[in-house]
Amino acid sequence: MAPSAFSELLALCAGVLLLTGVLIVWRRDLRAVVRLLSVQGVALAVLVAVIGIDSRAPELFGVALLVLVLKGVVLPTVLNRVSASSGPGRVEAPMINTTSSLISVALLATLAYLVSQPLKTAGSAPAVAAVPVGIALVLFGFLVLASQRHAVSQLVGFLMLDNGIAAVAFLIAGGVPLVVELGASLDLLLVVLVLQVLTGRIRAEFGDIDLDDLNELRD
Amino acid sequence: MNLGAAILAVVQVTVMVALSPLLVGVMRQTRARLEGRAGAGVLQPWRDLRKLAAKETLRSAGTGWVSAAGPLVLVSSGLLICALVPLVGAVPFTSVPDDLFVVVSVLLIGTVALALVGLDAGTAFGGMGSSRHMTIAALVEPTVLVAVYALSIPVGSSALSRIVLARIDEPASVVSPVSLLALVALAIAVVAETGRLPVDNPSTHLELTMIHEAMVIESSGRDLGWLELGSWLRLGALLGLLGSLLVPWGVAQAVSVGALLVGVLMLALKLALLGSALAAAEVFLAKLRLFRVPELLAGSFVLAFLAVTASYLVVQAA
Amino acid sequence: MTAVEAGIHAQLALAVVATAAAVLAPARLRSLCSGLASAALGVAGAVTGALALAGGQGSTEIPMSIPIDPVVLSPGPLGGFFMIVAGSVGAVAAVYAIGYVQGPSASTTSWAALATFMLGMQMVPAAGDAVSFLLAWELMAVASTVLVLTEHRERAEVRSAATWYAVMTHLSFVLILLGFAVLAAAGHGTSFAAMARVEPGSAGTSLAFVLLVLGFATKAGIVPMHVWLPRAHPAAPSHVSAVMSAAMVKMGVYGVLLVALRLLPVGPQWWGLVLVALGAVSAVYGILQASVASELKRLLAYSTTENVGLMFLAIGAGVLLRSYGVVGSAEVAIGAALLLVASHAAFKTALFLGAGSIIHATGERDLDRLGGLGKRMPTTAVSFGIGALGASALPITCGFVAEWALLQSLIHGARPEDRLVAVVMPLAVAVVALTAGLALMTFVKAYGIAFLARARGTEAGTAHESPFSMRAAMVVSAIAVVGLGLVPGVMASAVVRALGLGGIDVVGPGGLGLPGVGAVLDPVALTVLALLAAAPVLAVAWRMARRRPRRRVDLAWGGGGVRVSPRMQYTATSYAEPLSRVFDDALRPERDLEITHVSESRYLVERVRFRQQLEDVVEVRAYRPAIRLVDRVGIAARRLQSGSIHRYLMYSFVALVAVLVVVSL
Repeated sequence: MAPSAFSELLALCAGVLLLTGVLIVWRRDLRAVVRLLSVQGVALAVLVAVIGIDSRAPELFGVALLVLVLKGVVLPTVLNRVSASSGPGRVEAPMINTTSSLISVALLATLAYLVSQPLKTAGSAPAVAAVPVGIALVLFGFLVLASQRHAVSQLVGFLMLDNGIAAVAFLIAGGVPLVVELGASLDLLLVVLVLQVLTGRIRAEFGDIDLDDLNELRD
Repeated sequence: MNLGAAILAVVQVTVMVALSPLLVGVMRQTRARLEGRAGAGVLQPWRDLRKLAAKETLRSAGTGWVSAAGPLVLVSSGLLICALVPLVGAVPFTSVPDDLFVVVSVLLIGTVALALVGLDAGTAFGGMGSSRHMTIAALVEPTVLVAVYALSIPVGSSALSRIVLARIDEPASVVSPVSLLALVALAIAVVAETGRLPVDNPSTHLELTMIHEAMVIESSGRDLGWLELGSWLRLGALLGLLGSLLVPWGVAQAVSVGALLVGVLMLALKLALLGSALAAAEVFLAKLRLFRVPELLAGSFVLAFLAVTASYLVVQAA
Repeated sequence: MTAVEAGIHAQLALAVVATAAAVLAPARLRSLCSGLASAALGVAGAVTGALALAGGQGSTEIPMSIPIDPVVLSPGPLGGFFMIVAGSVGAVAAVYAIGYVQGPSASTTSWAALATFMLGMQMVPAAGDAVSFLLAWELMAVASTVLVLTEHRERAEVRSAATWYAVMTHLSFVLILLGFAVLAAAGHGTSFAAMARVEPGSAGTSLAFVLLVLGFATKAGIVPMHVWLPRAHPAAPSHVSAVMSAAMVKMGVYGVLLVALRLLPVGPQWWGLVLVALGAVSAVYGILQASVASELKRLLAYSTTENVGLMFLAIGAGVLLRSYGVVGSAEVAIGAALLLVASHAAFKTALFLGAGSIIHATGERDLDRLGGLGKRMPTTAVSFGIGALGASALPITCGFVAEWALLQSLIHGARPEDRLVAVVMPLAVAVVALTAGLALMTFVKAYGIAFLARARGTEAGTAHESPFSMRAAMVVSAIAVVGLGLVPGVMASAVVRALGLGGIDVVGPGGLGLPGVGAVLDPVALTVLALLAAAPVLAVAWRMARRRPRRRVDLAWGGGGVRVSPRMQYTATSYAEPLSRVFDDALRPERDLEITHVSESRYLVERVRFRQQLEDVVEVRAYRPAIRLVDRVGIAARRLQSGSIHRYLMYSFVALVAVLVVVSL
């Protein structure tokens, strides 16, 4: 592939990853958030495929397919099912108001950009230049985890965090071995399924899945 | 002053004066059709202007020269913007470059004139509209400047015409993530600045929600006509600028009859398309609560800011 | 004797004349004589500054009676620039004061203090070494404290404002003293030349930098040391507020420039970041408080914090870019700081003098009770309006030119290689943009509420235009705002000389060019273009108006119902309400809503009482606890004071013995 086309495609994928990250923090409608997460998964899969074409590593196509199926289709479907069974599809009041969390997003992106400076020398230039996007996704994921009350939002945050880690891994190392990726993905699926069950139990116990009710985790 | 730029400015001003009421007409008509109404026709804004010009102008006690001068300032600043920004062609004046900050500040003169007209009326509505209008204008400004900053980084200049020309030379840069993020941010800013849905509903007179209409509620006759024309010119110029950035082709790079004709036709086409798209989107949008508008603007600011950050990534990658 | 030396002597002599006139002239003529002499003092300062700026040399030594080095006054080009600013503002304010002063502000003390204040302020940038600098600084501080106290019998809040001011201004003095001491010890001498020889990067330099910047920032009203500003400006008479805001706080900026350009030109990168951060926080916080303030002079005071913040931001950006080797943009940024100084001096003078004119005419400081003054006070309305345009940085005023230069330097300063710069610059652009937007809203509110529509209170309804000297001073300052904006080349060439840097030059007839970043601005051409665009509009409007004039009616369309009272109009508080809601978390307004229901039904309301109080968050959160702590220490220390003379003698005796013990060790 021509280097310019490679860097353009890479930039496009990174842009979609970042944009979906911002929108996930912004939107309050759970259905839309899950849709965005699935778009993010697809973008990640395309990113992996592009890196695979560039580094002529056919096993990366397998990883890309795995990512596409798992993050683009399976996990969003599971999440949709959880949120569909949990009543109204809107998150009412996040811990931080939307304006503040959007400003935090801007600052976190800046932070991600600053901390990835030492990585400038590693790996091929266009791929490494996009590393801040991955780090930013990790930070956005944490922000969602820390600031949202709804259990499904928590899952979304967790998945975005994982997307970020995966993106960083692919961009820096040119990919992880298929086996490792497979193991990590299965772990992820397991976590989500366990949490789905847990959510069901929480709802059975409390009547809703607002995690604010879980504030006596001291003892 | 260079002759080419002067000719272009005259052409742009004339074309925009003719087109911007039509643009509003197209938008209203699109909306009417989509909502299942017949609509008043594309020419209705022009007929409105003629009617307002013939009507008697009332002036309430307590209002001063601002009420009379404000509408004229608004129109003049709108015309000046039409002369400055690259719409039909991108040939700037040598001594008055279409620098981003100059354009924004000329736009703000119009904003201030409108806000003062609202205040001068001395009614609760006028003040209310003026206050909301200025609040939104203040919050929009970071988005506008940072978005165009992002567009200016690859070009190395904040002159709008140079940005547009660079995009003609390098079509790939139009769909780059930087450009897309910045344009989305800019589009939200334009929507907020020109008082369209979901920030302001141009066709409402409900006191809880109106912004623009509250400011002009005490104006009548030709004063109202000027105010309407001025607002339409601003809408037209900003949409046209967005069009030039989004689809830079057809913008004249030098002043010749052929190039100008193509430029005018392309401008009319872009405006019609953008206007109908905006109107069609408005059918499906509800007005945001006033205190959720800052969320929208913060979001657009984040997009603009990320565009800047992303532009560094691309510069490094290339 | 060179021309500059003659100028310095003339200033000293004129200060004596002005003070003598204040003391000796009969009460009837006191204001006229002393005012004219003070104005001459200001003019002499401006002329001397211009001479120094043009390259004039000269050094005046004044021997002291105490055994220290003589006071050395030798203004350089940078000092000359600030002397012009201080002198011109002082001269205009002194002329204004002739008509403005009444009661306590027309007293001997007040006039003598004004002359002393102006002299001290004009000598600060002339000082050639640290000792002279500090003496002039203290003269300025003490005299201005006396001026803030002028109306202490009439208004209780003046006393507390003066206390705040005195404490903060002396805190500033102490910090600067310590900073200079560190540098003088390292450089073996108190002259600025000796201090500048300090080894860059040695341990003391960063300490000195922090101390000096904090000291100067306190004087300049930078957050979080700004607390004196919104108290002192409303407390002082308006001509004094104008001088304090438009000229005195600039001495803090001068000090920072002295440090950044002359004393410590080489330093680590975080110095620039500190300045940028201080500036950005002050700019946003200042304008946010200004936009919700409803007392006119308090609003203007907070707007000063904003403007000085922008100057710090510009200097910081310059220092930061310089440390990264981006020379072109760095020079433009520092030049922009000086453009901001000059333009702020012009428009803030116009605004404070306008505010004084309103207070003079109505006795009212609260915007919520003003309104409709445009028809009663046309000159004030026009000059205040022009000042407001300048403060909101709209063309074709000097404020616009300055902010344009600042934004150009920021936008071209981006360097993707250095990520810190790459991130700081867009954030700085965002801060400047938000500040500009909020400033626009603030001044539309200030002008619109005060001058448009109908009077909201009885005093505003019976206002009258001010006497001649006040009008003349206001018109002069308004002309400066537009003139410097129309022909910024004048300012630019002064800035270039003052800094000795490139980066800015004059283009065409008074236009401004930034060759370092490849940008050009010609306000004259822009004006011509605007007039051409407006010409057809005006022609059509004129024809329409001739054919059919407007008809006056009591209430044109009755939006909002029948007009019952002017109180139904929007007020300054209501105008800022949406904004104070948006920034609720930062402003933390205190709101009380009390609803009394009719006894028969709780669905019917008999009376609604709304109270809103906006306090300075920094003051409430940081200063009040500190003051309480100091209070407690003070009360504890009281026990030492028993009133017994023997106890006091014992203290002295113990102290003497302790000193002897220490010496002998």
